[in-house]
Formats: sequence, structure tokens, C-alpha cells
Amino acid sequence: MGRKQLTRIGLTLISFGVFLAVWQAVVHLGGYPAFILPPPQAVAQRLVSLVASGTLWRHVQVTLKEILAGLALGAVSATVLGYLLAHSPVAERLLTPYIVASQSVPTVAIAPLLVIWFGTGLLSKVLVCALIVFFPILVNTVVGLRSVSQNLRDLMRTLQANRWQMLWMLEVPAALPTLLAGLKVGATLAVIGAVVGEFVASDRGVGYLLKQGQQLYDTPLIFVGIGTLVVMAQALYGIVALAERGLLRWQKH
Amino acid sequence: MRTPSAGRARTPVDPTMRNGEPLLRVDGLSLSYRKGDGRLPVLDQIRFDVQEREFLALVGPSGCGKTTLLKLIAGLVQPTAGEIHLGGKRVKRPSRNVGFVFQEPTLMGWRTVEANVTLPLELDGGNRKRAREEAQALLDLVRLTGFEDVYPAQLSGGMAQRVALARALVHDPQLLLLDEPFGALDALTRERMGRELLRIWQARRKTVVMVTHSVPEAVLLADRVLVLGPRPASIIAEVPVNLPRPRTEGMQETPACSQVARRVREALEQVGLQ
Ligand SMILES: Nc1ncnc2c1ncn2[C@@H]1O[C@H](COP(=O)(O)OP(=O)(O)OP(=O)(O)O)[C@@H](O)[C@H]1O
Ligand SMILES: [Mg+2]
Repeated sequence: MGRKQLTRIGLTLISFGVFLAVWQAVVHLGGYPAFILPPPQAVAQRLVSLVASGTLWRHVQVTLKEILAGLALGAVSATVLGYLLAHSPVAERLLTPYIVASQSVPTVAIAPLLVIWFGTGLLSKVLVCALIVFFPILVNTVVGLRSVSQNLRDLMRTLQANRWQMLWMLEVPAALPTLLAGLKVGATLAVIGAVVGEFVASDRGVGYLLKQGQQLYDTPLIFVGIGTLVVMAQALYGIVALAERGLLRWQKH
Repeated sequence: MRTPSAGRARTPVDPTMRNGEPLLRVDGLSLSYRKGDGRLPVLDQIRFDVQEREFLALVGPSGCGKTTLLKLIAGLVQPTAGEIHLGGKRVKRPSRNVGFVFQEPTLMGWRTVEANVTLPLELDGGNRKRAREEAQALLDLVRLTGFEDVYPAQLSGGMAQRVALARALVHDPQLLLLDEPFGALDALTRERMGRELLRIWQARRKTVVMVTHSVPEAVLLADRVLVLGPRPASIIAEVPVNLPRPRTEGMQETPACSQVARRVREALEQVGLQ
């Protein structure tokens, strides 16, 4: 580990320590009851008990499954549709008004409808996730494909590349930076999608834990839930960022 | 592969080849682009032939349609009128018979130098090992040995265009189309690249159509210079360059050479340029 990295980790630890200290001070000086603002150690205790009983992991697994399935579904369908829009002016003219209009409908508002149509199980949550990640990934796909240099397209044409070679040897690698940027945004949005779905109707998942916490005035549980979601979103973002670093090494000098 | 050429006539054609049929025949070529409701005429009745192994230079005012003409020859754009024949066959769509070097550096940033050069062979599904050997030979030729594993972002403009040149040669096309390959380079690099291209051409002897803005470059390299007028472009002059081959840059000082250059410049002045 390099000196720089050690310094960075050190700074992160220090800022986290300061955060805990301020939190503790606010609780202490304000004299708030635990159900309004629990002290850090109450949250830590709740976390330990939830981890030890396996409850947290069980709910994380559920939410994670919804997120990953939703992200996959949303990303794949958005990329395919984006390819179509970028290549077919007819498709673009026909579909763009609907796609844009659909964006003014908040996904959160559709979630109850999805639950009625597709039940309270996994499917409705996956669909909320997919809907929420769909648009940013679609836009990035179209922008990425449009940005492929005309000269490189012409070059591939003079070499009589077929459609498949055009896609895999030119369009995918050329659009990859933009595609991955869309996926990074999508990854964090997918977490929101899953929780929204779980808020509407669920009997498991991290969103369900949050609802439980609210109903039982178990504020430490809510804090643990929020922390868990932050960690999940960060982890997903980190995985895409890591993939990005590996795949786009050619951009660096 | 050098052919004796001192004092040869305007058409440097080997008579044993295709009974003197030109390799490239451009006949009555006109093109207009759609522009708003109307049309923008770009090329007007262009007619010329290029013999096998000839080096033809095209000069003309900026924006007159030089790039468009090369794209037509490559089959990338369809003419409004007229025909193009390459190797006796009508050009209707892009074909691997041409190697194209674009005006702007056009490399795939995600491929190494070597992988950029082997691209044409990979697309054809050829043997990988042979492709690498071909690429190596061409990288030696353009003096980029040792840069095989470098990514384009690390290359200078001149190096990038030499990679593009190697890539245009690797599948051994019948015709090489060079669109101001050194136009984006500084004057000194440009002069050096002109000499490099002369050396490379003398080693490979391809048929070349090159667009250039530089009269000395055209005269040093070409067998013939075509001068295009302003848009819609037509050919306003044809200047043969009767200098012996192999050429050296020293020839640029000779009276014969400056005479040719003067004729090209006069033609350009006629259309209000330079
Ligand atoms: N795809 C296109 N659609 C419409 N107009 C075009 C297109 N490509 C080029 N033009 C127009 O045609 C004219 C000729 O362009 P072209 O690029 O062939 O000129 P050029 O001689 O190569 O110019 P330069 O010296 O700047 O390279 C220009 O006015 C340009 O704006
Ligand atoms: Mg041009």
C-alpha cells in the first residue's frame, strides 16, 4: 500500500470519527429521546443484534436480488432500445415523444399500480427498479452511439465490416465510456427503486425493515436500514467504477 | 520493385497490365448534397483516369469537395450523376479494394498500434499470426518499430497518421486514397512526412490518389497534379510532373521542379487562390 493510500484511509477514518463525535454531542446537548435521535452506540448495538441473528443479511439478500434483477432488466432493455433509436430515424421519430412524456411521470407514482398488476412479490420490485434505471441508461446509450466517429464508421465500411463486427469492434468499445457512466448512475438509482417498491407493499427487504422501524418507533433500526442502503449503493457504484477502470485503461496515458 | 522512369511520358503505365485500361476511371461525376429544401452542388462533371501505379495529387480550395470526391471513389457516397470504375468494375458500394487515410487522425483509441494495423485483416477473419507479421513489416516501413503495444492517445499527430498509413496498406488494396494525410501537422513535421511518404511509396508502388494543400508536396510525390476549382468543383487544370524517379528531396530545388510548381500555382491563382 502506498503512502498516499494510507493517508487517504487515515483521513476517512478521522472524518468518520468526527462525524460520530458530532452526532454524540448533538444527542447529549439536545437531550433528545432515543426514538427521535438515538446515540451512536444504540445504533451500533441494534446493528450487532441484527447481524448476529442473521436478520439483516436475510433482508439485504432480498433487496439485493431485486436491485440486480431490476438493473439487469432495465439496462438490457434500455441498451437494446437505445441501439434501435440511434440506428433507425423512423423508430426515433415514432418513440421519442412517448419516451420523453413517460419521463414526466414519477416512477414512484407508478409503483402502486405495478403492485396491483404484478403482485407483492419480487416481480413488482424488479419492475420498479428497471423503470427507474431505464431512462438514464437509454439516454447514455443513444449519446454514446451517436458519438462514434463518422470516419471510423466509414473506415469499417471500406473494410466491409458486417453489422455484427460494426457493433462489437466499433460501436461497443467506442460507446463504452458513456455506457458505463449511465450504468453507474443506474446502479445507485436501482437501490432507490427497490426501496420504493418495498415501501408500497412487502413483507421482507431493507425497505420493509425501514417501515417496521417506523411503525414500532424503533429508530435505531431505521438508522441501520439507511446505513445498509448507503453501503449497498456505494458498493454497486464501486463495482461499476472498478470495471470502468479496468475496461478503459486505454484512455489513460 | 522500382521501375525505371527517367524521362517517361505522362502515363507511367506498365503496358503488360490490363491492356492499358486505367485502374481508376472517374467519368462525368457530379454530386450535390441535400441542404434544407434545396441542394448544395459540390462536384460538377469530374472526369479523370488514374493508371496503375500512378501517383495522382489533387489540389483545390478549401471546402471545394476534395474529401467528397475521395469518398465517392471509395464507394462511401453515391454520386448524383456519373460513374466510377475501379479495376474495370463499377463502384457501387464500399469495397476492400481501397485503403483510406482520413484527413483527421482516425484510429481506434482502445486498440494498440499493432491492433489498429491488423484490423483490416481481422475483419477478414485471416490468420492472426500472419496478420501480426504483416503489421510488423508495415510498422517497420513507417518507422514505428517498438510502438506496437502503445495506445493512440500516446502518439503524436505524425505518428498517428503513419499508423493510419500502415493500416491502409495492410490488406494490400489496389488503390490508396490519402485525404490531406499531413494537413493537421506543423510545417516541419509535414515536410518530413512528405519525404517519408515518398520513401514508402517507392518501396510499395501503390496506385495513389492524394489530396493535399501543399504544392511542393504534390510536386515532390506525384506523377500528375489535378487542380480543382471552387465549389461546385470541376477540374480546371492538369499538370504533369515529368521529373525522374526515384525522386529525392534535392530535386525540389531544380528548375524543372519549380516550373511544375509554378504551373500549379498559376492555375490556383486563376481561381483566386494563394
Ligand atoms: N455529408 C454531408 N452532407 C452535407 N454537406 C456536406 C457533407 N459533407 C460535406 N458537405 C459539404 O460539401 C462541401 C465540400 O466538403 P468536402 O469536405 O468534400 O470539402 P474539402 O474540399 O474536403 O474541404 P477541406 O479542404 O476543408 O478538407 C462543403 O461545403 C461541406 O460543407
Ligand atoms: Mg477535406
